[in-house]
Amino acid sequence: MNSIALLLILSCYLAILFFIAHWAEKKENNKWTNNPYIYTLSLAVYCTAWTYYGSVGVAADSGLSYLPIYLGPIIIAPSWILILKKIIRISKVNKISSIADFISLRYGNSRFLGAIVTIICLSGILPYIALQLKAISETFHVVTKTPIRSYLFEDTTTYVSVALALFASYYGTRYVDASEKRKGIVTAVAMESILKLVFFVIIGMYVTFFVFDGFDDIYQKASLLEHFKEKNTIGGLPQAINWFLLCLLSMFAIFLLPRQFQVSVIENNREKHINTAVWLFPLYLLIFNIFVYPIAWGGNILFEGKNVNSDTYSLLIPQLFEEKTLTVIVFLGGFSAAISMIIVSSIGLSTMITNNILIPYNLLGKLKSAETISNRTILNSRKIGIFSLIILAYFIYRYFGLDYNLVSIGMVAFVIIAQLAPAFFGALFWRRGSRLGAVYSIIIGFVICIYTLLIPYTIGLSNSNNHFISEGLLGIHLLKPFQLFGLDYLQPIPHALFWSLFFNAITYISVSVSFKGNYRERNYAEMFVDINKYITNHEDAFVWKGTAYRNDIEKVLIRFLGIERTKRAMNIFNIKYNVDNNIELADARLIKFSENLLTGHIGTASARILISSVVKEEKITLPEVLKILEESKENIIINKKLTETSKELKEISAKLHNANESLMKKDQQKDEFLDTVTHELRTPITAIRAASEILHDDDEIPDDLKKQFLQNIISESDRLNRLIDKILDLEKFETGKQIIHPDKYNLVKTIEKSIDPLQQLIKNKNVTVHIESKNKINAYFDEDRIVQVVTNLISNALKFCPEKDGLITIKIVEKDNFIHTFVQDNGKGINPNDFENIFDKFYQSTNQNIKKPVGSGLGLAICKQIIEHHNGKIWVQNSIKGACIVFTLPKKKNIKTFENEKNINS
Amino acid sequence: MKKRHQHKMIIISIILLMGFNLPIVLLFDSSQNLWGFPIIYIYLFSISTISTLFSFLIVKIYNE
Repeated sequence: MNSIALLLILSCYLAILFFIAHWAEKKENNKWTNNPYIYTLSLAVYCTAWTYYGSVGVAADSGLSYLPIYLGPIIIAPSWILILKKIIRISKVNKISSIADFISLRYGNSRFLGAIVTIICLSGILPYIALQLKAISETFHVVTKTPIRSYLFEDTTTYVSVALALFASYYGTRYVDASEKRKGIVTAVAMESILKLVFFVIIGMYVTFFVFDGFDDIYQKASLLEHFKEKNTIGGLPQAINWFLLCLLSMFAIFLLPRQFQVSVIENNREKHINTAVWLFPLYLLIFNIFVYPIAWGGNILFEGKNVNSDTYSLLIPQLFEEKTLTVIVFLGGFSAAISMIIVSSIGLSTMITNNILIPYNLLGKLKSAETISNRTILNSRKIGIFSLIILAYFIYRYFGLDYNLVSIGMVAFVIIAQLAPAFFGALFWRRGSRLGAVYSIIIGFVICIYTLLIPYTIGLSNSNNHFISEGLLGIHLLKPFQLFGLDYLQPIPHALFWSLFFNAITYISVSVSFKGNYRERNYAEMFVDINKYITNHEDAFVWKGTAYRNDIEKVLIRFLGIERTKRAMNIFNIKYNVDNNIELADARLIKFSENLLTGHIGTASARILISSVVKEEKITLPEVLKILEESKENIIINKKLTETSKELKEISAKLHNANESLMKKDQQKDEFLDTVTHELRTPITAIRAASEILHDDDEIPDDLKKQFLQNIISESDRLNRLIDKILDLEKFETGKQIIHPDKYNLVKTIEKSIDPLQQLIKNKNVTVHIESKNKINAYFDEDRIVQVVTNLISNALKFCPEKDGLITIKIVEKDNFIHTFVQDNGKGINPNDFENIFDKFYQSTNQNIKKPVGSGLGLAICKQIIEHHNGKIWVQNSIKGACIVFTLPKKKNIKTFENEKNINS
Repeated sequence: MKKRHQHKMIIISIILLMGFNLPIVLLFDSSQNLWGFPIIYIYLFSISTISTLFSFLIVKIYNE
């Protein structure tokens, strides 16, 4: 294919990538950019050009040994739900922006340790980035069938590198705070992960089903080739040990590679995204790997005896069949795999270099003295960092040759990064791990890596004549770099991993237990190991003693964050810890809070140094720290218990408050009731007394008048009697002494029976009473009592009916297990506010000031008691005109109360 | 997700570590043909598929 055409395609592809990154960056909280799938796909930055091309090469040339690189992540992925979550929590609360920050913070904000971690990462990853550029360059020339150009400006990789460097430095440094999320980059990487998988599956399907006739066909033909059996089995016990060590290596790599730490921890928006990653990421790797075997062995069959680079089989096969489009598609997939790795790694490394080497060792002096700090200085240093890293990697690729295949250099990078494992996992789970232990272990591990891998690789693997490789250092056989101490059955990579990690871990543990760490390390150890306890108020767990002034700290913050952000942050702090803004002295929490604010900008070590420069810290002894931590732990537990108890108390007090209110209301009602009753009792008594006095005092009253007075005394006595009866009636109902005798009756008849004695009154009032019902509706009730209810309701209705055209409608309806009786008049109606109170025995008394009560005010209260004793209910219903009172009665015996039944039905 | 269910995921990891390594993996170390793949591939791929399925189910069922 024509170089210019391919370059044009590449430019278009890069332009689309820029566009996606730009679009994602603009969209705030968009569900397209902030979701668990984008997060998981961004983790697939793990699959670089090495996966895309290198795995095929290894499967074709040496067999299964590419698989452990993917089995490791598949093994460890389910446990992310615990481990990765913990790492993310620690990083979020401490505003960590790189793995160097993570390790250096845990070991007491150690500037030196941060620098060592950065150097380790740099030495492992820089050649790895170079390797990706090499892959791009080689595959470009395979696709265009052109020779690799030696002249710098004729090499297309030069331009690709510059474009990538510009892209990464622009989108990778949008925020000064390096712990901020880079949505643009992450979305672009996720997009590329989809493309590389889809393109790889396409070429896999093409080889399997178009070039060959399915998997079986490939197997049958491949099994005839030489070494098929050896290349498709592990082989034996020593090889299985190699296999195990490689699995271990990739398990570490998935946590420790700077690009993985960047996407899985720093760019994580929500913890719950891990829940998807634990199954989707292994699935992604699985799909990727299914087609490695058919492509590799398809290539072996097609190119048997020809001298071709097996790494490029996935390009050579479609090219062989002149499938130009497919070749370009495969090339774009590989290109995507390479550039996502380059971009993410360079961003991660650049943050590490600026925050852990440049600022703490060089810029910090300037930052301390400068009155105002331009964030641009920090941003620019990161931009230049990213740009120069990619360009440096380009020069490594150009001038150091990198003669090895894709896998071997990738593996060397893995082994170097694995040296961080003891210190990193110790930070998560072991309180006693110390800074000294971490520093020495990493250095010793790295030195062994240099001896067993880097030096031999630089000399040349194939150079077996080399004295150092074949005879060992100074001719001592036990010091042969590939068979150190006579261990000769491991391959170079597992061999180096074994010895380096062995000495690394031993050093870490033994130094940590032999020398006490300082109080700061122990403090962070507690915060890291027990992060779940401190997740909400982690500033509480920070132990610090000394004198510090709020003003001084604020001044430092303002220089980096600006006045507005500092003020906002201080407000958040004051609200969170309920601190008065006017307090001049700063406490430990404010110190930690301010360090966190600066960490994202300048790294943990520099943040600590800067804050320390404006505060006066007193040394604390280790036992003191432990005591404070113990107390703070207890405090946290006590606080938790207190919060729970106070919640319970609040609930109880709310209940008590309600009960009290209801009691007060009832008390008031009782007083009002007594007033009413006394008033009601006094009226007839007064009348009786007046009549009796007249009769007593005056003997000469005419007989007619005397009779009239005696009649009055009788009728008032009757009234008094009725009133007392009603009060006693109600009292009996309320105390449960009243017994009803329900039986099966025709409710219509009972209602008619109730109306009969009232006929005269109805006639006098000129009211029409109308019954809407079937002739016979049986219900289960005490007839005398229901007559009492109906009489009461009709009497009430009569009282309120208009003088002209008064109408009372009684409607009886069957509904489920109950008979509903509606008594409706066309009077002035009931105020909706009184719907609930109308059945209270004291209801009338609340109206007493407005109008003279008609009746005793106990009628409806008694009705309510009677109906409820029948398991029914009585209530006022909304009505367009007049009042409508409804009561229900059970159809049969033993029916639950109306309320309960309604609840069950609903 | 409750601690108990998180521990189930750790158990999957431990089982995978055991299943993918010696001595168990050597029991399936054969290049014989099964559905067009050497048996060792089929073993590794199927264990990965099953574990992924289990992880998916645990996360879906017990996620709160």
